[in-house]
Parts: sequence; C-alpha cells; structure tokens
Amino acid sequence: MKSFQYLAPIPPFEYVAPRTLSELFEALDGNGKELQVLAGGTDLMIALKERIAAPKIVVDLGRLRKELGGIAVRSGVLRLGALATFSQIESSPFVARYANALLQAAANVGTLQIRSIATLGGNLATASPAADSAPPLIALGATVTLLSGSGQRSMPVQGVFAGPKRNGLRPGEIVSSVEIPANEEVRSAWTRSAVRKENVLSTVSVAVASTIQGGRFGPSRVALGAVAPTPILAERASDAMTGTEATTDRAEMVAALAAEDARPISDIRASAHYRKRLVRVLTKRLILQIIRESMAP
Amino acid sequence: MKVKLRFKLNGISRTDEIEPNQTLCDYLHDAAGTTSVKKGCDTGECGACTVLLDDMPVTSCLVLAPQVDGREVVTTEGLGTQSAPHPIQREFVEKDAVQCGYCIPGMIVTMSWIFDHVPKASDDEIKRLMSGNLCRCTGYLQQIEALKSARKNGKA
Repeated sequence: MKSFQYLAPIPPFEYVAPRTLSELFEALDGNGKELQVLAGGTDLMIALKERIAAPKIVVDLGRLRKELGGIAVRSGVLRLGALATFSQIESSPFVARYANALLQAAANVGTLQIRSIATLGGNLATASPAADSAPPLIALGATVTLLSGSGQRSMPVQGVFAGPKRNGLRPGEIVSSVEIPANEEVRSAWTRSAVRKENVLSTVSVAVASTIQGGRFGPSRVALGAVAPTPILAERASDAMTGTEATTDRAEMVAALAAEDARPISDIRASAHYRKRLVRVLTKRLILQIIRESMAP
Repeated sequence: MKVKLRFKLNGISRTDEIEPNQTLCDYLHDAAGTTSVKKGCDTGECGACTVLLDDMPVTSCLVLAPQVDGREVVTTEGLGTQSAPHPIQREFVEKDAVQCGYCIPGMIVTMSWIFDHVPKASDDEIKRLMSGNLCRCTGYLQQIEALKSARKNGKA
C-alpha cells in the first residue's frame, strides 16, 4: 500500500493554464512524460499526493470550458465535451433522453463533491479498468475525439484504454469530446456491484444497450467494467443478443456468455470467480429491465 | 514559479500570488483565513473541506489552488453570519446537529446546497447527496432533521 505523505507538500511544478486551444497545443508540444494534463483533478490530485505522478509541468484545461465543455445534440449526435462534469451529465435532459446508462453511471460516480468537478474526459484519460463512464459509452457505441496540434482523430471508446491506468493517447493529444448516436429508440441501462453504496470503486459494472421492436432485439451491446485490464465489449454476449427474440431465456443465455467474456482478476474487492458470477447476475437483470421497459405503455 | 490568482472568496474579490503546488483546502485555511475549511482525509473521502466552487460543492483538498482563478468560492463563513445565519446554519444549532464539530463546516456547505438547489429531495436522495460528508459522532439523523426544519421554517 502506498502511504500518503500528508504533511509533505506536493513537489513543485510549473503551472500553465492556456486560454485558447492554440496556447494549449503550444503548451503540450514536446513535453512528453514531464507533463500532466489537469481536467477536473480528482484523480490527478491523488496521484500527486501519492507521488504516482511527479510532473514538471501541469497543464490545466480549466480555462477552456467553452471549447472543451458542454453537452449538446446536433445532426443526430449527442456530443459531450471532455470537460463535462458528472453532475452536468447526471442532470442533462439530452443524456436522459439518449443515454440512460451513462446518466445512471454518472449519478453513481464518487460523491456529490467529486461529481461536481470530475470530468468525462478525465475519467477516460485516467483509463482505470473500473472507469464507470466506459461501459455505458461502449454499449451505446460512442466514439471519442482526440485533439492535438496536428489535428484530430476519432476512435471507439475502447481505443482510449491501452491497459490498466494506461491510455492510448499520443503525446500532445487530449480527449476533446465524446460522441453518442442520438437515437431515442435505443434503450440502455447500467448497474454495478460494489462493497458499499457510495464513494466506492465498482467491483463489477455492466451496461446494456439495445432496441426492441416486435419482441426482438435490434443491434445490441453488452459492456463490462472492472473485469478485465480495460473496460470491454462483451462480444459473444452482444452477438448472441442482436437480432434475437427478447425473452427471459435469451437474457439468461446472453448473461452466461457475458460471464465467459469477462476476464477478471482477484483483488481486495472480490475474487475472479465472484466477479464472473456478478457479471452474469447483473447482465441478466439489465436485459430483463430493458425488456420490461419496452413493454411499458 | 508563482502564479497569479484572482477569484471571489465569500463575495469579495481576492488577488494573490501563490505557489501552484498547494491544494485549495490548504490555501483557504492557511493563507486566506477561512479556517472553517478543515483538512480531514486529504483524499476527497471525508468532505470536511467541502466548499462551493461556482455554486457546486467540491472537496477543496482535490482542487489545486490555482484552478479557482477567475471563479467563485464560498465557505461556511460566506453562507451567513451569527446575526443572519443561513437557514441550515440556524437549524444545525436548533437541532443539535453537532458533536465534535470537525465535519460541520463541510457538512453545512453540502446541506445548504441541497437546501438551495434540491428543495424537494427525498430522504433517500438527501442521503445520496450527503454521502460525501462523513460524521463519526452523530449518525447523520440530526443533520437530516436540520435540513427538514430549515425547509419548514424557511429563511425566517
């Protein structure tokens, strides 16, 4: 266990707070590992105190809330700026309409005080296997837009996760936004299991997104958190759900496949065996919930 | 290297030059004189250092002091005075919602935010919203009672 150095101050660094995107890219240029990007700060502050991060330069995105924040729907796409906080996501009517699973996850991140400043982009860039925003985004087929001085590129959410706490960003690149197809027919839900209700890392988290028409599932995705080195799309489970009859039997079968898709480890929160059981139980619960909601008047 | 800091603290503009490697919690308590801001866990778990940043509750131990440049910070001191307390401050006294007192400034900031912004929060919702403020003395019931009687008695 790492001990906190409560009384020792955080080692000094140079603090830069760009006010325009061009100032930002200038600040990010060529500094590589010496540099840390600061979004909300709820992860970085802990890392600084634990000496997990000891940057020479901290680049604060906080003055770029106009450029990198906001939640909006345009041309059939729900766009969340990287600096959108979990509180903003939790209370956004657009997220409620098009991305229920993400709303549920956002409402369960940390505490009120954490949700007030922690950002979606920061959650992705920290790349924790237990990042609660990731399974909903994967299930909803979201893409992440990365921005650097030399341009922008997009990738599926999974692409941002290279390994535990290791992101797939290139030096000089930041997460600028997340795009989710804005389709009102898509039903999605998220749930998790954890050792207590609030302010806790998920032991297992699951998100499911699907459409149901005429008693059949349309394109469906099951995504899992905290059961692999990165959040994952449960591929066999998703394939076994897409285009099939929306029944309890099918929910059970998909849930069993999701448990097989999971590759958990044992750690202080749970054993690998228990995590697989949880994946099965939670996945089934979510699919049945989506079926029930589709039948409600 | 020092950085310039200009922000509003409890309604008053404040200008300073500070070392950037300090938390907002330490800055408010040690440099700005708002000693209601308590350092408990220093890891964003306990909520004793809760302040309002642009009218949202945050644990100031997880905020880097220079992050508040150009923004607005309110501590318990800024919510009310002895002669004109915030309804939550008044009802914390009335309902004895205090024992050792260490968590109270942060608790009051959170409860005042719930009072001001989520006036219809159910008991479960109140508990969810206050879960970031730990109190090892009271068991939380008195604080919830204080919120309810603040709602009932209003701004008085």
